[in-house]
Amino acid sequence: MRAPDFQQLVDRQYGPLFRFALSLSKSEAEAADLTQETFFLWAAKGHQLRDRSKAKSWLFTTLYREFLGRRRREVRFPQIELNEMREDEMAILPNVNALDGALVLEALGEVEEPFRAPLTLFYLEQFSYQEIAEVLDVPVGTVMSRLSRGKAQLRQRLISKEQIAGNKIVRFGSEQVKESHG
Amino acid sequence: MDNREVKFILSAYRPAGQDASDPRFAEALDQARHDPILQLWFEESVAFDAAMAQKLCGMAVPDDLRENILIGVKVGCGSGWTKRFGKWAIAAAFILVAAVGSLIWHDTRPAHLTGWQSAALEVISSLVRNESSFDAQSRSSGDLVGWLRANHAPAAGKLPDSLKNLESIGCKKFSWNGVSVSVICFTRSDGGLIHLVAMKAVGKQGKGGAHLVQRGGWATATWRDGDMIYMLALEGSPDQLRSYLL
Repeated sequence: MRAPDFQQLVDRQYGPLFRFALSLSKSEAEAADLTQETFFLWAAKGHQLRDRSKAKSWLFTTLYREFLGRRRREVRFPQIELNEMREDEMAILPNVNALDGALVLEALGEVEEPFRAPLTLFYLEQFSYQEIAEVLDVPVGTVMSRLSRGKAQLRQRLISKEQIAGNKIVRFGSEQVKESHG
Repeated sequence: MDNREVKFILSAYRPAGQDASDPRFAEALDQARHDPILQLWFEESVAFDAAMAQKLCGMAVPDDLRENILIGVKVGCGSGWTKRFGKWAIAAAFILVAAVGSLIWHDTRPAHLTGWQSAALEVISSLVRNESSFDAQSRSSGDLVGWLRANHAPAAGKLPDSLKNLESIGCKKFSWNGVSVSVICFTRSDGGLIHLVAMKAVGKQGKGGAHLVQRGGWATATWRDGDMIYMLALEGSPDQLRSYLL
């Protein structure tokens, strides 16, 4: 890969990769290290990728694998089935716009790791469920399940933070509006 | 398909509408269109996702990250960008990022340790916590340096003056991404411990001032001397560490 092409790739992807790494590792230092390592691996192995349009997916996949490798533990991905979802978990939506970015990130960091990775890919780069399945190497149905469950967890964490911050909680369906007493 | 299933499927629907023509979403979208409550939920859900995406994309990225990536890879690549890297080149890039980082970073900025430094601290921590054992033990650092050399591990050609009079405990060698690294642990005069990590540098000979980083409870100083890179580490403050650099 020519230097200008590499630089363009770095310019386009180092921010999203760092944010993805930060959401996984919850450490700025480790996120920076993972991002650097991912690009070094691209420099070493990227030429093996025939379809250049897959470079973004390759980078996210590699970073995720590096992260898992560093954890050196078996990550257990809970099998969340549809019937485990409680509808009320999906019915409450916090007011994200009213929350500070750091609090939103903090809430995301509190979501369990198997759900956090697909959520971050979904939000950061607007990866489709098929692309997320490729990056995480899991079936499409599992991605949907994790997105659904992950969003439910995220909402719960955000609502807790909203309550602490004294913001409004809007409950859909019943169209109730509550004022928190935080 | 009941409402719960519709919500489950539409949880994967991207807020910018890229999935509008995906047949997997068609039935759920259609059902939402014909159910006002479901439609309201869907609109609010998409708004929530869009707001989340906006918040997350606004997360700050370290100022020096881009520069470190470009410099590290460029230097590690040698003269040609088409040259294919091996593990050594990757390792070289990390080493050079550390070295270049010492020129770019300031003590007051957020501290980053590169991969080999983090790996070294993990090894040291495991030694301190008795979770791993030394490869060789001696109160004489000269003995340990000799053992490391005999076992083809990187060892300081000349120990820093501040460490010469300290009693050593032991040493350990380990590999980071295929690169050999060694650590010697010393007992400080105040009873605490201090650790010298050594690693062979790749590229031209060089010499530079120490770069101090505080990470967690650890203070580290990294510098290059000739064809070696050293890191001195202790659990404490940079001020405590500075006294060993003078």
